[in-house]
Amino acid sequence: MNLTAQDEIAVYVEGVRLALAGLPPATRDELLEDLPEHLAEVLAEGGGSLTDRLGPPEAYAAELSASAGFAAGGQPTSRYAAVTDRAARHRARINQAVRGADVRVGPLLGYAKASEFLVLLRPAWWVLRGYLAAMAVAFMFDGNSRLGLMPRLGGDDFAAVLLLALGILGSIWLGRRGTPTRKWPRRAFRLATVYLVLFALIGFFEVDSAAQRDGYSEVGYTGWNEFTDVRDVYAYDGDGRLVSGVQLYDQDGNPIRLGEPYCEDPTSGMSVPSRTLGYPHCPEAAPYHPGDPSAVTPPPDASTPGSPAPSAPEASPSGAAPAADSSSKPPAPSSSARPPAAKEPARVG
Amino acid sequence: MRSSVLRVDPTQLLKGVLDLAVLAVLRDEDGYGYDILRRLRAAGLEDVGDASVYGTLRRLFNNGLLNSYVVPSDEGPHRKYYALNAAGRTELQRSGKVWSGFASIMDDLLRERGKA
Repeated sequence: MNLTAQDEIAVYVEGVRLALAGLPPATRDELLEDLPEHLAEVLAEGGGSLTDRLGPPEAYAAELSASAGFAAGGQPTSRYAAVTDRAARHRARINQAVRGADVRVGPLLGYAKASEFLVLLRPAWWVLRGYLAAMAVAFMFDGNSRLGLMPRLGGDDFAAVLLLALGILGSIWLGRRGTPTRKWPRRAFRLATVYLVLFALIGFFEVDSAAQRDGYSEVGYTGWNEFTDVRDVYAYDGDGRLVSGVQLYDQDGNPIRLGEPYCEDPTSGMSVPSRTLGYPHCPEAAPYHPGDPSAVTPPPDASTPGSPAPSAPEASPSGAAPAADSSSKPPAPSSSARPPAAKEPARVG
Repeated sequence: MRSSVLRVDPTQLLKGVLDLAVLAVLRDEDGYGYDILRRLRAAGLEDVGDASVYGTLRRLFNNGLLNSYVVPSDEGPHRKYYALNAAGRTELQRSGKVWSGFASIMDDLLRERGKA
């Protein structure tokens, strides 16, 4: 049976279907169920086109519905019938286009028809379908997991493999049984297939993009890094003395900002703005206190008078800072507290 | 408008007996649609229409007088074979008797007219 014969039959059957538009769609579909095969027999005998041998489709339809015990078909009796009618026409046109593509694409694959090649792939589709079904089930019942490559239920490897095996075996079993013949099982079957295909497409891109951003996803997406918990910075010089008014810069001269310039008042427990410039924001909260209380330098900022640090000694910052050890020269907390960028900033990174 | 009683129209006659004819050709051997059509034509019912046979088969099947089964075919389309079941055979006998009675009445009538 060649393409033109199939087309001729499809067109003729569609003509008959249209002429029977007055019948309920289910009745009509049932009546025409075997007509294509039957017409193929007629055509196979030769002797002209279907219309030559059987007359116009309308006449055939009238004879058919009369002999089958139905009232003669007429015009569509309802809007519903008209809609199903149009749908049937579109279906016929689509079927014809698909058949045409089938034959045209076939030679590219080395087959007479593309469908012959696709039929060979059917068991592969069964396996893939089983895998997708297992993934879909795992995805539905395991709410918090992101899509991976295994159908994980609660992160259990064994359960994942078991589910995978069940899905694939079940799918193969279904495949060997064939498409359900009854109407509603068949519809459910097709709906599930469409769902799986959509799930596969979306899931495929989801997993792929997750794999693309894997390298930095931990930092980029959770906002966590090792400095997240840093609220203040305390610099100690070579003699273990706390250095105040420290300014931090990276290798490009950009200031490094860590923590927030707020301090917790030890008595009230309230957060108050820091009175110092540079680090530490809160000298009082230093983790290490050298034995010599004079080592703790007062806030050097002269621009905030009337706010003496609680433990500020009398020694001036410029007197305390010059240390004997000049090798680890920290930026001397000057009274201006604004070190010029060129003046050997603390380097980080 | 011309009257429709003047001439006996074979297609009109056929309508009344096509069920019986189809049952009859299936009595000894199962067949598929086009095969049944060929048997009917071979038997002399030249005017029987393809659509009529197809529709009749569907109706007899829906009324439970026929069973059907599909026979795969290598070179052509799959064929749906029809077979008489018990109900079909009963119907064939009953309708066959009705027809025989009717036909003999008609024969007698025609013979009497012929004699008269």
